Amino acid sequence: MAANFWASSHCKQLLDPDDVDVLQPLDRERGLTQEEFKLIKIHMTNHIWKLAQQVKVRQRVIATAVTYFRRVYTRKSMTEYDPRLVAPTCLYLASKAEESTVQARLLVFYIKKMCSDEKYRFEIKDILEMEMKLLEALDYYLIVFHPYRALLQLLQDAGMTDLTHFAWGLVNDTYKMDLILIYPPYMIALACIYIASVLKDKETTAWFEELRVDMNVVKNISIEILDFYDYYKGDTCKGEPVKGIPEERINAALNKLATK
Amino acid sequence: MEKYEKLEKVGEGTYGKVYKAKDTANGQLVALKKTRLEMDEEGIPPTALREISLLQMLSHSIYVVRLLNVEHADKNGKPVLYLVFEYLDTDLKKFIDYHRKGPNPGPLSPQVIQSFLYQLCKGVAHCHSHGVLHRDLKPQNLLVDKEKGILKIADLGLGRAFTIPLKSYTHEIVTLWYRAPEVLLGTSHYSTGVDMWSVGCIFAEMVRRQAIFPGDSELQQLLHIFRLLGTPTEEQWPGVSSLRDWHEYPKWKPQNLARAVPSLDLDGVDLLSKMLQYNPANRISAKAAMDHPYFDSLDKSQF
Repeated sequence: MAANFWASSHCKQLLDPDDVDVLQPLDRERGLTQEEFKLIKIHMTNHIWKLAQQVKVRQRVIATAVTYFRRVYTRKSMTEYDPRLVAPTCLYLASKAEESTVQARLLVFYIKKMCSDEKYRFEIKDILEMEMKLLEALDYYLIVFHPYRALLQLLQDAGMTDLTHFAWGLVNDTYKMDLILIYPPYMIALACIYIASVLKDKETTAWFEELRVDMNVVKNISIEILDFYDYYKGDTCKGEPVKGIPEERINAALNKLATK
Repeated sequence: MEKYEKLEKVGEGTYGKVYKAKDTANGQLVALKKTRLEMDEEGIPPTALREISLLQMLSHSIYVVRLLNVEHADKNGKPVLYLVFEYLDTDLKKFIDYHRKGPNPGPLSPQVIQSFLYQLCKGVAHCHSHGVLHRDLKPQNLLVDKEKGILKIADLGLGRAFTIPLKSYTHEIVTLWYRAPEVLLGTSHYSTGVDMWSVGCIFAEMVRRQAIFPGDSELQQLLHIFRLLGTPTEEQWPGVSSLRDWHEYPKWKPQNLARAVPSLDLDGVDLLSKMLQYNPANRISAKAAMDHPYFDSLDKSQF
């Protein structure tokens, strides 16, 4: 949304890794496990993605929505904030913040079309009510930066634009983790370039050296991404959405929350 | 909303009423900007969301009005959102009016004009460096603390973050008098220059105590500008005649700008002329304006 990341509220809102991906006490009481918490977030990221494709919004609206979604659960429990309602509401809010408003009734319509499960279906008034609660949960910080623009500029600079498609897919997948809450977007972009260049046998040592960034951070992010792929490999290939989580596991986890 | 006691209505904002109120906890005066929410349709208006998120980002500068809090309330079952701002006693329009038709009319002192203009440039530079165009700068949107001599930018409802290069934005934005010629001529790309044109108009208005280009229609507005600055030519503004709303206009010669602002010193006239450049690319930036010799006699350490 804005041009300067360093001066943005996003920059000031970056979280310590220890404060992210922490199960809320209320959710723990319901018996939700850390693993299930992660799975629900991945599943709902996919849900936002699919819904976004139906209503046709830009990539950055999706990325912003997922960022809101993940930020909410660093502060609120899934027991009180049903992820099945929070997810579409984040998309609704992101579409407004990114100035390409999607009507609430369209979202409601497509959710009904996409999901046969009653628990995913909500009415317009549910979304509007949740919108207000989310704004408070997000402390009205709505401006989010993403790695995409940095990615294109850096690849251009490195003369590796042939990696664009591959690295772009990697960036998309980073939203299945909480990286965007922790690291500056350009560092995430660099990690994706690093992975892409290693996998495609590109020599980039000199280029990275010239950037004078903390390579330890870049490598740590890269390792997190690769670990993620390893762990959730299912039948996915790198750069493609993770599809490997069985529906039953998600439903079992969501049922513990027993919302709605 | 029991936290705030409404004292009086002080105005109508872009999308709702503004009240002067008191924080019951500490007696601090605040401005409450009320936003009606048509919840049965589309929730919180995107303009309000935009203003909130931009203000969250910008309001750590003292030259942008500070957003203290956002309150969500119910009024007769209808949800209402209150933006709670710091309160300033007046705005630049009222301040100028007071100098024109108050009990003791007289010009604004050169020191006040210089100080206000510097603070305005500083606030605009702050917005621009954060990638935000205000797009609706006018004296009514500049809040003033008379006692402390402080000026702050308010009403960012039309502001929007930009990414360079700019694509077309909606045209119906700036109040006509402060609207840049490229906007009036229907340009599809505009940028920080639109705000700097407005700053120039506001500068002139502080000196003259009346608007420099008081047009009442888009055409009238252009003619006001052309009559003073001359009808723009392709040489001074390449591409002007291919802008969407360009027509053949009478070919006025530029007048002496100093005559429109007779009480302004030479450095001031020079700075004004750099803000009122036709070609947006040649218009001075807010940051560069702050280094202009016009401000040499100002004690900048106080800002």
